[in-house]
Amino acid sequence: MDLKTLPIDSPDARIAVAVLLIPLISAAVIALALRRRGGIAAAISVLAAAAVAVGALQLALAGGRFQASVEWLRFGSFSISLGIRFDDLAALMLSIVGIVGLCVHVFSLTYMADDSAKARYFAGLSVFMFSMIGIVLAENLFMIFVFWELVGFSSYLLINHWFERPAAAAAAKKAFIVNRVGDLGFLLGIVACYWLQGTVSLGELAARAAAGSLIYSRAVPLLLFCGAVGKSAQLPLQVWLPDAMEGPSPVSALIHAATMVAAGIYMLCRIHVLMVPEALNVIAWVGTFTALYAAVCAIPQRDIKKVLAYSTVSQLGYMVAAFGLGRGGAGEGAAMFHLTTHAFFKALLFLGAGSVIYGCHHEQDIFKMGGLRSRMPLTFWTFTIGVAAIIGFPGLAGFFSKDAILALAFENNRAIFALLALTAVLTGFYMVRLWKIVFLGACQSDQAKHAHEGGIALVLPLLALAVLAVLGGYRGLYPHDVFAGVLAEVPEAEGSLQTFLLIASILIVIIGAGAALAFYRPPASGISEDSLERASPGLFGALVVWQQSFDRIYGYYVAKIQQRFAILLNYVDIVGISGIAVRGVAGIAEMAGMGARKVHTGRVSTYVYWFLAGVVVLWAFAAGILSLQR
Amino acid sequence: MHPSLESYVLLSALLFVIGFFGVLLRSNTLVIYMSLELMLVAATLALVAFSQYNGTIDGDVFVFFILTVAAAEVAVGLAIIVALFRRKQTILVSDLDSLKN
Repeated sequence: MDLKTLPIDSPDARIAVAVLLIPLISAAVIALALRRRGGIAAAISVLAAAAVAVGALQLALAGGRFQASVEWLRFGSFSISLGIRFDDLAALMLSIVGIVGLCVHVFSLTYMADDSAKARYFAGLSVFMFSMIGIVLAENLFMIFVFWELVGFSSYLLINHWFERPAAAAAAKKAFIVNRVGDLGFLLGIVACYWLQGTVSLGELAARAAAGSLIYSRAVPLLLFCGAVGKSAQLPLQVWLPDAMEGPSPVSALIHAATMVAAGIYMLCRIHVLMVPEALNVIAWVGTFTALYAAVCAIPQRDIKKVLAYSTVSQLGYMVAAFGLGRGGAGEGAAMFHLTTHAFFKALLFLGAGSVIYGCHHEQDIFKMGGLRSRMPLTFWTFTIGVAAIIGFPGLAGFFSKDAILALAFENNRAIFALLALTAVLTGFYMVRLWKIVFLGACQSDQAKHAHEGGIALVLPLLALAVLAVLGGYRGLYPHDVFAGVLAEVPEAEGSLQTFLLIASILIVIIGAGAALAFYRPPASGISEDSLERASPGLFGALVVWQQSFDRIYGYYVAKIQQRFAILLNYVDIVGISGIAVRGVAGIAEMAGMGARKVHTGRVSTYVYWFLAGVVVLWAFAAGILSLQR
Repeated sequence: MHPSLESYVLLSALLFVIGFFGVLLRSNTLVIYMSLELMLVAATLALVAFSQYNGTIDGDVFVFFILTVAAAEVAVGLAIIVALFRRKQTILVSDLDSLKN
């Protein structure tokens, strides 16, 4: 697809720049002037989000596809430009960010209404919107990296919103540090890409790929994939995402479900021209194992948001696997299609969970809920749509996108197909378990008995997202084929394969959801216990161990190996490098002084010991054991 | 029958070692002081024993001088400890680290 190259001050480019900068301005105004005015800050932030949504849809639906850039830095022959690359992929992602962002902003109005640091929260949301749109529009890998770090920063801010809770502070640190590990690979990948290709501009890379002058290597795509592994919570760096649920629920919906964690997949799609089959193979398997691992982890969870978090990891694994399976555009199509539908129904599920948590006065344990169907009917019905969409209930969004991925897997790799199908069964199982325990049966606690629907600002985003979760799967409904560049590539099974896959996916839903429906009794009053834990404590315990295994291994590694190694290195650094190598004679003299100071403790008993040592030496000379002469 | 010289010297050495380790290991200044005195007494015991073994009075003369000096020294030392306690409200050597800083 050819993109027009426009000057940066053309009308379309101006809208794009405005969409990028409006949230930044909002954040700056709030941070500088409105820190104590929570109400006004919230209004400004929501208005900014609305403006972004309007601008994004205007650009995506009516605007052209273009690229525009200005030079930023030049050192000799090396130059970095700031630019916008707005193709169908970016248009689709920008629309998702705009729509989900607006829903979450509106939802936050009520959810965070009584928060003492409302202004900080909304400023954080605005910073996030700015950074995320930056990733979406960025024209080269350097820019993507800059905004990549910015979303990491805003994610840190928002996970840490209730920083007085130790768990939230620890989770924010963990998210930041784990992402750093992936980002190191990403940065190395960018450097390697520049070293190999001489450019990191996405447009330039695409042009070279079209002309056949691209230099292929396995290292570059795999290093860049490291960034996606961190940001999109793939094995082995998935540990941060479940902990990130310490942040407020709307944040989980926007950042840790719909948009930021999907940035990894988006970035992979942006650099798909660099991919080689071996790298794609690795990517597909990483995604598959992540999907399966996280689906198993979700089964024993008690916290409503943790279930959704593991399901997010699992679905992200799906997208990564889809990307890795695809050859010639099909992978991107399937991954982005699932990203789109997932953004809608997962944001819906998280906001639904937020509504439940709000209604139950911040109770998150699903075994203390129960019976919310009659008390929160709107939340119940929209949440049900979300659950139906994620388990692939026929006719809803998840059904189509998951089918596309399964079709792709069936054609390319039967083993991956089998694992992904198993994951889909598990998805049905744990989502229906969650749904049944939360909404059906009898109330388990006073909070649940007094649960009530929140205000209109809580319900409206749920309704909007529910509509999208139903309709998002029908690609014919997207107006005027505006996202054709991406969605036309979505693989579709034909003939007998189509029938087979249709039957398979309906069977998957029936098995997974049916098993959960049959196994988990609707909670009777007073019995708040996991059916699986009661039926088979051994299996349940094994699932918990399985879920904690990565954290345990990392904890052991960091505390027992890395920390000791770091102490050793620190010692080598202080004594060897900064003490002797850098300062030379002065360093030696100083260290001798330090040693001498250590001897002088000022305590009589120490001096007595030295006295004893002196006597022994004296005696040794006197007795002829020590002698100065040979 | 009189005890042999060896047993006197052994007792003296034992007392000296007890006193020595008392000085090294105890933290109460008074106990340390008593341990010091014990070492002094151990030395005088050895002197008396040698004096008797040799049949001379050289050692006994030494002992007179040592006991005289020790009495004077006790007076000075105890006075120092009392002054120290008045000043610092402690006689534990582990708390007396003003030689540093």
